[in-house]
Amino acid sequence: MLEAIKLTKYFGGLAAVNELNLRVNQGEILGLIGPNGAGKTTFFNVVSGFFPPTNGRVLFEGKDISQLKAHDIAYRGISRTFQASTLFMKLSVLDNVFTGYHKSYRTRFLKRVLHTPSARKEEEGFRQKALETLEFMGMASLKEELAANLPHGYQRTLGIAMALATNPKLLLLDEPATGMNLTEKNAVIDLIRRIRDMGITIILVEHDMKVVMDLCDRIIVLNFGQKIAEGLPEEIKSNREVVEAYLGKEESKNAA
Amino acid sequence: MVKHNRYLFNRTSMRIHKFIYAIIVIIILALLPQVVRNPYYIHLLIMVGINAVLAMTFILMLRTGLMCLGIAAFWGIGAYASAMLSMKLGLPVWLSLPAAAVITAIIAAFIGVLLVKQGGFGFIIQTLAFGFIIVLIFGTFQVFGGHVGIVGISHPESIPIPFVGSMEFTSISKMPFYYLMLFLSLLMVLVLTAFYSSTAGRAWRAIGLSAHLAESLGINLFNYRLLAFIIASAIAGLMGSFFAHYYGTLVPGSFGPFKTINVHVYAILGGINFPILGPVIGSLIMTFVPEFLRITEGVEPIFTGILMILLVLCLPDGLLGLTHLWQRRSKPS
Repeated sequence: MLEAIKLTKYFGGLAAVNELNLRVNQGEILGLIGPNGAGKTTFFNVVSGFFPPTNGRVLFEGKDISQLKAHDIAYRGISRTFQASTLFMKLSVLDNVFTGYHKSYRTRFLKRVLHTPSARKEEEGFRQKALETLEFMGMASLKEELAANLPHGYQRTLGIAMALATNPKLLLLDEPATGMNLTEKNAVIDLIRRIRDMGITIILVEHDMKVVMDLCDRIIVLNFGQKIAEGLPEEIKSNREVVEAYLGKEESKNAA
Repeated sequence: MVKHNRYLFNRTSMRIHKFIYAIIVIIILALLPQVVRNPYYIHLLIMVGINAVLAMTFILMLRTGLMCLGIAAFWGIGAYASAMLSMKLGLPVWLSLPAAAVITAIIAAFIGVLLVKQGGFGFIIQTLAFGFIIVLIFGTFQVFGGHVGIVGISHPESIPIPFVGSMEFTSISKMPFYYLMLFLSLLMVLVLTAFYSSTAGRAWRAIGLSAHLAESLGINLFNYRLLAFIIASAIAGLMGSFFAHYYGTLVPGSFGPFKTINVHVYAILGGINFPILGPVIGSLIMTFVPEFLRITEGVEPIFTGILMILLVLCLPDGLLGLTHLWQRRSKPS
């Protein structure tokens, strides 16, 4: 579904992503792991159109999306969440998710400005859908709460709700479980499974190994912007290079 | 701390309340010149109206991340365009008013395509440059009257009012101009409100709160920013064309960045979180307080400058921003 071919992104003299070849298959949950600075978020930023690649290409459903800007990529069906709590803080939870449906409007622009009945009907429809998305996430009771007032765990899931509202085919989740306790993490794991069951392909960047091992069908490990391992969760767990990358050479000698 | 919405379950009630408030305000505004009478104060009120609308256009652009230093330039383009259309081409004022707005919108479209792409800082510098260039153009070319400007611009033709007679626009009474200004201002407020409460307004709000997030949801930043820029400039142009036919004289120097900065102060003083009410409060205070304090023209820039500094340091949310303090205190927690 998504394919990165020799993808390279330089920031000044530093290659954040270096000749990365990666493939995601439809319907799978792909885990993307690696130590901090390995290039995972940069990879997301390039795929989702916030940075153009320095070299290489990204193909989505066979078409080259390398030079597309972020809003166009959203229209193609790729959606993402952000690491920090990136939300519309001054808006309510419902309004946050509601904004996610913005690109789905079918009524003509002029009619929307004039508030014609058909425009208002479509708007009502999207409000209803936003509510349904919140119910799917188990957050319906919070709908009038200001996003800024939410506890951290709910802020993360709100980010996921917004990304879902854009009706994506591919969802890029950037550390969705960060800062969560065990209960919240289990809820997120369950949520991501349900999202996959809806037919959405998922790339998951995550540091929590339990979450990664539980959820992912396949795992790719990055370090210094390059792929150092790829395979099933069990294989990755015992892969020496992976352990080295995370713990450093000395530690892995002691562990082995 | 939850922000409770009294109208949560009764949107219709909210709409009716707002409608009644609006009607009351309009009636008060309409009766104002009958009470005030003094032509100089009526002139000040007319300027308050114009300045308030200009400040509204500033806030419109600011909310989408565009800090425009060229508002007075588009105000001037509208003024000069309408003056030229009515004097050189002989158009009736009722045609040249909207025509000038359209011309301003077209120019804004071309300029905007170039400038909006620049992003925050480049946009600021280039609108500032544009502001200076426009003054230079108006002041240099004789077709625009050169540094002397344009004099003797025709007043609007009289409007027939059923049962009463007609409203004459002469140099004698300011009242008809006040009512024309009121009509235009309210019309612009209506247009702005329509846009703000539409999906475009939601997109603008999203862009203003978090441009990255809005982009990732499919909102085209450039398109919506350009739209805000064009609408804001067209509205400024319309108020400019009214100004031309009211004031009768256009001097190029009055359309420079200095004027734009004054407009900024009106908006910031009122509170940039209040796109309609803030500018009204701000321009009311800034127009009348110097009057009552007997601040002369020479001293006024100092007064404005000090006020601007104080605002940014102590009151960045403007006067209306203080109402949040009041609301929070009066709620039992």
